[in-house]
Amino acid sequence: MRSLSSGNLWKIISISAVLSTLLLVAGFGFAVKDLLYPRGESFAGRANVPALPAGGKLSEGKNIEITAIGDSLTKGTGDASGEGYVKQVVALLKQKYPDTSVRLNNNLAVNGLKADRLQKLLESDKGYSFALKQSNIIVFTIGGNDLFQIASGTSPGKAADGLKLDKLKSGLPQGLNRLAQVVKRLHAINPNAQVVYVGLYNPFYDIPEYRGGSLQIQQWNEQAYALLHQYPNMTMVPTFDLFENAIGRYLSSDHFHPNHDGYAQIAARIVQSLE
Amino acid sequence: MKALDRLLPLIQNETLKIWKKKRFFVIVLVLMIIIPIFTYAQHRIDETNKKNFKDWRNELVQQISEYQNTLSSDRIPEEWKRSRRIAVQQLQYYLDHDVNPNSPDGVTFTRSFLSNAVTLFFPLLVLALASDLVSGERTSGTIKMLLTRPVRRWKILFSKLVALSFYVSLTVVVSAVLCYLISGAVFGYNGWGMPVFTGFVIHGSSVESGFAHAIPQGLYLLMEAGLIWVSAMTVALLALMVSVLVRSTAASIVAMMAAVISGTILSNMASSWQSAKFIFSVNLQLTNYLAGSPPITGMTLGFSLVILACWGITSLIVSFFVFTKQDILN
Amino acid sequence: MQYASQEARQSAQQDVVLSVSSVKKQIGGKPIIKDVSFEVRSGEIFGFLGPNGAGKTTTIRMLVNLIKPTSGEILICGEDIGRHPEAALRHVGCIVENPEAYSYLTGWENLEHFARMLRGIDNARIREVAAIVGLDSRIHDKVKTYSLGMRQRLGIAQALLGRPKLLILDEPTNGLDPKGIKELREFVRMLASQGMSLFISSHLLSEIQLMCDRVAIISRGEVLAVGTVDELIHGADNYVVWQFEQPEAGRRLLAGDGDVELVPEHEHQIDESLLGMREAVITAMNPDRISSLVEKAVRAGIGIVSVHCVAPTLEQLFLRMTEGESIG
Repeated sequence: MRSLSSGNLWKIISISAVLSTLLLVAGFGFAVKDLLYPRGESFAGRANVPALPAGGKLSEGKNIEITAIGDSLTKGTGDASGEGYVKQVVALLKQKYPDTSVRLNNNLAVNGLKADRLQKLLESDKGYSFALKQSNIIVFTIGGNDLFQIASGTSPGKAADGLKLDKLKSGLPQGLNRLAQVVKRLHAINPNAQVVYVGLYNPFYDIPEYRGGSLQIQQWNEQAYALLHQYPNMTMVPTFDLFENAIGRYLSSDHFHPNHDGYAQIAARIVQSLE
Repeated sequence: MKALDRLLPLIQNETLKIWKKKRFFVIVLVLMIIIPIFTYAQHRIDETNKKNFKDWRNELVQQISEYQNTLSSDRIPEEWKRSRRIAVQQLQYYLDHDVNPNSPDGVTFTRSFLSNAVTLFFPLLVLALASDLVSGERTSGTIKMLLTRPVRRWKILFSKLVALSFYVSLTVVVSAVLCYLISGAVFGYNGWGMPVFTGFVIHGSSVESGFAHAIPQGLYLLMEAGLIWVSAMTVALLALMVSVLVRSTAASIVAMMAAVISGTILSNMASSWQSAKFIFSVNLQLTNYLAGSPPITGMTLGFSLVILACWGITSLIVSFFVFTKQDILN
Repeated sequence: MQYASQEARQSAQQDVVLSVSSVKKQIGGKPIIKDVSFEVRSGEIFGFLGPNGAGKTTTIRMLVNLIKPTSGEILICGEDIGRHPEAALRHVGCIVENPEAYSYLTGWENLEHFARMLRGIDNARIREVAAIVGLDSRIHDKVKTYSLGMRQRLGIAQALLGRPKLLILDEPTNGLDPKGIKELREFVRMLASQGMSLFISSHLLSEIQLMCDRVAIISRGEVLAVGTVDELIHGADNYVVWQFEQPEAGRRLLAGDGDVELVPEHEHQIDESLLGMREAVITAMNPDRISSLVEKAVRAGIGIVSVHCVAPTLEQLFLRMTEGESIG
């Protein structure tokens, strides 16, 4: 019972406690010194560049790696199930290629992202290029925010109120210019992957005074296709037709983003375009 | 030297009493239960991530992107956005330098466990040690035996304080060691030399990385433990004061718990109430400064240390004044 | 100069172990102790007698520095307890109220604990005091397994550890059975015979009477009297309880004597338990007169069943000292 006399117990406790205290005080000293008198120091990290996966037909490869970038459409905003088109694409590809491993590498979409910001991210963000380099399918949406924000001066969700069609028209060249930069950058990062750009649609087709916006949207889509056309690995899927007569069925309650079924249609088209 | 000679037996008394009360066993027991639970939880998270992400970089990129998405929301309070912005820039820094901030190993787990434990878990353990230090002697009546010996009262309180400091130190060290040993069994016992970045300078919501530098994770852990010790000691001093002032141990625990918990809540609301930064419990999370994310805009390590020192010294003065002057009526 | 005078005073009071002079204590503006003075000499057993709530415990707490007096002076072996508590308390062992001990420690660990707070107490001394109180067989058991009597012994053991010159016991017979009380009494005498002074508080006169040499009586925060037990009790009318074979004749006989006062049934202050006799005649008289009255009764042919001499109770003493003022 009394295996340890209280004298020895005291010695053990006190010595270990004093040592612990000294250790902790030293740690505290280091921390204070480090924080109050910080010294900058360059840290040479190992550069990690993943090998580009081979291009070519999906059915022949062993792995399908998808990276999605872009704005709220890619994020899946408006889809109550949270899947958006990206996850539905993954699911459909799994069905289509049951023998291949299909995975979503990253979905790096950010709500409200505009083309100029995306271009900067592609330019400087190592994470973006890392993820893009790993993949053999890249899907992206961009431009919607540029266009509708130029046109209304406000965030796209509230755009319907102050939308000015003439501004939409005058903003086109600027937006397309940014898109061109994005596409160029994407190609520089990963020339092997199949790149799918999802075209724009007019969410206000059912409002008579904004129906004309569809013409500008269509212009954008045409020019965008022309940009992508320069690169044989890139393509574009149209979406404008989905949201003209079936707006009530495919658009979510914010009257701007697609709902789950709307995204499903987009996903189906993307999968059809891939080989 | 002679005074120390007379004090040592008193410290020995108090140290042995805390030990025999089995307080430290309880603490070790709690750690032995809690750490495996957290280790398991972390293990599950790692497994999910492994399934979803090819590489830690993908995980990090995804995390940054998700933070950016919350930044674009209008419904998030500005204070959260600020901390997210800082986090985004720091994660980006890790990514740019190709260093994994959440590498799955025992040391990384210990590091994150300790920094998460600093606001609530460690104060709780300290309260288990300190709350009945004086009030317990009152409840049992042994205070009468203690104070009728030919020993000055300040020496008795001082010996209690030293014994308490002993156990606070042991608690911090034992927590770290147990955490490393238990989590290491799952995640592996390495990670000591892995670089961790510190020294981010925060201006508002932007991070200046000019002073950022890498230190080995082992050293980072030591620094973290040192900071935790300082905040735990502040809690200990306050708990000792409450224990002197309040007759019942239960009341003293409740009072201290309320103070500690309200502090953690207040630090979330501090963007609208700046003066909250003078409350001790808002300043307990010293490890945040190491990671580079101050709890409230404009707070610095120096500021927090001064605030904690003020609270600590005041409670020491009150404790000693009351304890030496007080009439023991029952 | 101051030294010289202090030394002179110390030598003059050489045999005074405890000196309490005009001590007062107010708590929350209310005077609890109004004026208490007495002295305890070396080797004597000093009783501190008073009803519950009279200020006994408060006074004792002041003697051992648990409470600081509002005014007045307490010297233990010439050392002022307020100014030099370390020096003064070195000579004191005490149990205030209940004998407390750390229940999660063993008896031995408790004694070790208190020994570390004194100078020059080694394990041999701990064994010695454990043996003195007869606790040696259970000394390594946890205190939470001890009975009240054993805790009391442990309390006394720790009080004796430092070889005190003055031992203060607060209501030491509380909770003890008659056998325990008898043992305690013998133990106290034994300690006193070795030259130790004992300060014992109680609310029972009989107990103080049996144990103490001198006594101070305290009521409502004031010392009413200090003296030897006999001095204090002497002069107070003792009760003599008579039981006759012919109660009426006996009563008439006693009533006829001028020095004897009959006490009506409902007025006496004797414990009913002590009485326990039917048809008893209670008188207040000088016990010296008993033998002559017995002779008288025998001559008158009145058979006597018993004659008891009953000491007055504390209440009775108070009645006399405060001249009828009730003690509540």
